Amino acid sequence: MAFEVLMPQLGLTMEEGTVSSWIKHEGDEVKVGDVIVEITTDKLTNEVASEHDGVMLKIVAQEGEDIPVKGLLAYIGQPGEAVGGAAPAAAPAAPAVEAAPAAAPAAAPAPVVAANGARIRISPLARKTAAKMGVDYTGIAGTGPSGRIVLKDILAAAEAQKNAPAPVAAPAAAPASAAKPAAPKAGLELMEGDTVVKLSGMRKVVSERMLASHTEIPPVTQNIKVDVTALMKFRKMLLAETGKKYSVNDLVLKALAVCLRNHPEILVSFDEANHQIIQRKHVNIGMAVALDSGLITPVIRDADKMGLDTLAATAKDLATRAKENKLKPEEYKGNTITVSNLGMFGIETFTPIINQPDSVIVGVCAIEDELALDDEGKVVKKQVMRLSVTLDHRTLDGAVVAKFQMDLRDLLQNPMSILL
Amino acid sequence: MATKKKTSEEKYSKELLLGFYQTMVRIRSFEEHAAECFTKGMLAGNIHLSIGQEAAEAGAFAAIQPQDYFTSTHRGHGHVIARGGDPKLAMAELFGKRTGYCKGKGGSMHIADMAKMNHLGANGIVGAGQPISAGSALASKIMGDNAVTVGCFGDSSTNEGTFHEALNMAATWKLPLVWFIENNCYGVSTEIHRVTNTPDLASRAAAYDVPFAVVDGTDPVAVYEVMTKAMDHARSGKGPFVVEAKVYRYQGHYCGDPAVYRPAEYMENALANDGIEKLGKKLMAMGVKEEDLEAIKKAAQEEMDEAVKFADESPYPDPSEVTDDMYTADNERCVAR
Amino acid sequence: MSKKITVSKAIREGLLEEMRRDDKMFIMGEDMAVMGNVFAITTGFLDEFGPNRVIDTPISEEGFLGMAVGAAMRGMHPCVELMYDDFVTVCADPLFNQAAKLKYMSGGQCSIPLVLRMPMGSGRRNAGQHSQSLEGMVCHFPGLKVVAPCSAADAKGLIKSAMRDPDPVVVFEHKLLYAKKEEIPEDEEYLVPIGKANVKREGKDLTIITWSREVNFSMEAAEKLAAEGIDVEVLDLRTLVPIDWDAIKASISKTHNAIIVSEEVKRGSYAGEISAQIAEELFDELDAPVERVCGLNIVSPFSPVLEDENFPHPDDIVKAVKRVLNK
Repeated sequence: MAFEVLMPQLGLTMEEGTVSSWIKHEGDEVKVGDVIVEITTDKLTNEVASEHDGVMLKIVAQEGEDIPVKGLLAYIGQPGEAVGGAAPAAAPAAPAVEAAPAAAPAAAPAPVVAANGARIRISPLARKTAAKMGVDYTGIAGTGPSGRIVLKDILAAAEAQKNAPAPVAAPAAAPASAAKPAAPKAGLELMEGDTVVKLSGMRKVVSERMLASHTEIPPVTQNIKVDVTALMKFRKMLLAETGKKYSVNDLVLKALAVCLRNHPEILVSFDEANHQIIQRKHVNIGMAVALDSGLITPVIRDADKMGLDTLAATAKDLATRAKENKLKPEEYKGNTITVSNLGMFGIETFTPIINQPDSVIVGVCAIEDELALDDEGKVVKKQVMRLSVTLDHRTLDGAVVAKFQMDLRDLLQNPMSILL
Repeated sequence: MATKKKTSEEKYSKELLLGFYQTMVRIRSFEEHAAECFTKGMLAGNIHLSIGQEAAEAGAFAAIQPQDYFTSTHRGHGHVIARGGDPKLAMAELFGKRTGYCKGKGGSMHIADMAKMNHLGANGIVGAGQPISAGSALASKIMGDNAVTVGCFGDSSTNEGTFHEALNMAATWKLPLVWFIENNCYGVSTEIHRVTNTPDLASRAAAYDVPFAVVDGTDPVAVYEVMTKAMDHARSGKGPFVVEAKVYRYQGHYCGDPAVYRPAEYMENALANDGIEKLGKKLMAMGVKEEDLEAIKKAAQEEMDEAVKFADESPYPDPSEVTDDMYTADNERCVAR
Repeated sequence: MSKKITVSKAIREGLLEEMRRDDKMFIMGEDMAVMGNVFAITTGFLDEFGPNRVIDTPISEEGFLGMAVGAAMRGMHPCVELMYDDFVTVCADPLFNQAAKLKYMSGGQCSIPLVLRMPMGSGRRNAGQHSQSLEGMVCHFPGLKVVAPCSAADAKGLIKSAMRDPDPVVVFEHKLLYAKKEEIPEDEEYLVPIGKANVKREGKDLTIITWSREVNFSMEAAEKLAAEGIDVEVLDLRTLVPIDWDAIKASISKTHNAIIVSEEVKRGSYAGEISAQIAEELFDELDAPVERVCGLNIVSPFSPVLEDENFPHPDDIVKAVKRVLNK
């Protein structure tokens, strides 16, 4: 008895997964624990290991196919074993089960759809006869019950065609050829040298979510300049005093979490379906992590309740596991605000797209040196960083978010206060 | 001068009693082996064990002649062993193997052997064996073959309508029929007296003017005596006889049933009256050595080890045999559509 | 050489000849011996064969059918009558779980050469518990063979074949056919093979597949249709298991239209089973959907006015044929 490989349930809410790639192929030997296939769900890729020893007998679900949980992916068994009720392809000395005589080769697939697209009512016998005689029945009026075309209608039509001066080429008489592969739906024209890559599960999700956000939300992006000179000193001081190295991102996350304590109005979601706005209780900061294959935003839950240490460790752990594709589905859900950091790439400002259902996303930009005059009129060097904050103008207005941005800026400019 | 009344033990030879002992030990060993295989997952389906009923079965079947017939029930392994069946073929049937008594098509509940044992089959339907055994007795009466048919069944099937319908006809037509009830007091979980109004079950035979006897089923000699009398009665053309042996069912209904519905005293009584132990003591009192009894046990153990090995190593039926044996004539066309 | 006798006499003749030929055969059932059966099927049998082979039973259907199974396992050839097929419900176990299964479950060790005669059918104003047509229920159980003759000749030829068959055979006899007088061959060895249908009337427009009393109604309908220029073929199945598929296939391959006529409750009927097989295997031969012409999905009513609504009459068959042919 061959074993079935089924789509695993990889998260509580998972309903289907995409077969991203087969590691083992038909005919390959498989041992318990061997990774046989990669499955993409939502945004993650998971490896599925075999629970049986044997051979990959048959791959049922092809790469790129979406399969429901518990849906059949493949069979593992002994060489030559029958799978899914079918006889093995080439089982030597198979028991002499008499195969049913092959049905007569199918006649040319006759049209079953009328010119206007409606289904044609025709009896099985009439259809078979039409195919045999090469009669086009798409325009025939049937004389059977409910206008069904019956045998005698085909015979009459055949007679009429015979007597017609120039017989119309009957589509039914067209040689039976394998159906052409369907052309891509309004696909793009390929140019010389182009290659085509199938949309990965993650890319598909990212593209859908970004498009939804962009089309559903009226966004406003507001940039604010933050003097991070003190913050950078503070960072050095922490390193010197505690031996711990915090990234700028860690400090921004901490400041943001603290700031949101006083700005609950930022943590809202627009519930369009129910014509209401949801006030979020938790400070759950989504953190955009760039991956080779796309983007994922693991969530730091109740960030406002974490000390800097815990927060930094959590951020690091999530980012690491995100890059290794090891996040659990529940770890990238439940965000109430999101941070996107392009500072390390030298980006000065940008217009981040809101991670629904949040109302706000905070874009963290590069730290730059800037010359400024101090109180005494002397030219001094400062380090500045811009925060590009996009807001959902359905739920929030510019001034409201501006106040939040100013408070966040002040916190970052007086870094000791973020630890209070 | 009054002669001293002989006890049963004295009346029968040591050889006969040793024969009972051997049969009982073999039944128990077969069942213990079957249970072990079941626990290990070597068997498909369910099995119902005869442990605790060995004495009754050994005694009863010693009174049945080679030309006689019998029917059995879901708890029927013991009958097969007591009748002299081959434990290998029985075990193979439990395993669903082609070498089994029924080519693996019946299983534990349906062992039959028409040719050698005159075994008309164990039956999975409670109450089915009563009319079938009576029908076999009817056949014997019509053919005049001097055979008696023994219907073996449990306490609970005496409450099926077939018990009463068939006994009425068998009594009216004086059929050569003996019914051997092994009363272990439980129909799955239901204690028989919770659902039955008579203290004994065989006494219902009186309603049809049929003689009956109730006997201690942990004593093979007592059962043998009563069954001999019953068989003589039926064979002489006087009609049916009903015997009820009081036995114990050590296991639950099926192997693996923890029998939580049963009071602790049931098993205490059962173990205090264990037929094998009691007979062993009697035999030793008659001068049989303990090592001789141990040798019987060891031989049974080895025999049943062999049976398991045979069953385990036997081939399964070929899938192509699945439609065979549905019909005697025109099988292919009858199963095709 | 032939003679004209009633269907019940034809069955009696068949049984009598088999009783004389086969000393393993015996007859049991209610009112079979002293009375010689309600329909005089066994008149005189008790005198000729004695009480061991012609047995009056108590009203204990489960008991005596079970005994017949036990006797059959021992090599006897019992012929049992249930006074009405409706009573099969009180002896379902010996028929469906025992007679049908014991050969297979014992790995082929025994045969059950049992014949169960079951008078059946509507039209005698006997209400819901004495009027049913339970072919669908009986044919469901693998292990049984099932015949349902209409004519006197088939009734005799089939009961004789049934008695000689090594497997359990259920014979559905329509009570309203018993009194019909028909020609039958004189030949004592006249046998109708089990599993062979009979083209009762040839035609080219549509096949009526039917059995038992509805064969006669279908023949009447065919005459009426012929008067209107519709030429139907009437196929009397005679045996339901094993069904004569070759005959069905040949006829439908010729007419390309079919209806199935029986007295059964339509839902779950054997007529429906045949229809499904035609749809599965002869789809491309069909010029119209197959129609079942059966009883309603109700309890058979008592009042004649109501009962007549509940089984197909010739006019119902005519209408169904015209519906299928859209005429």
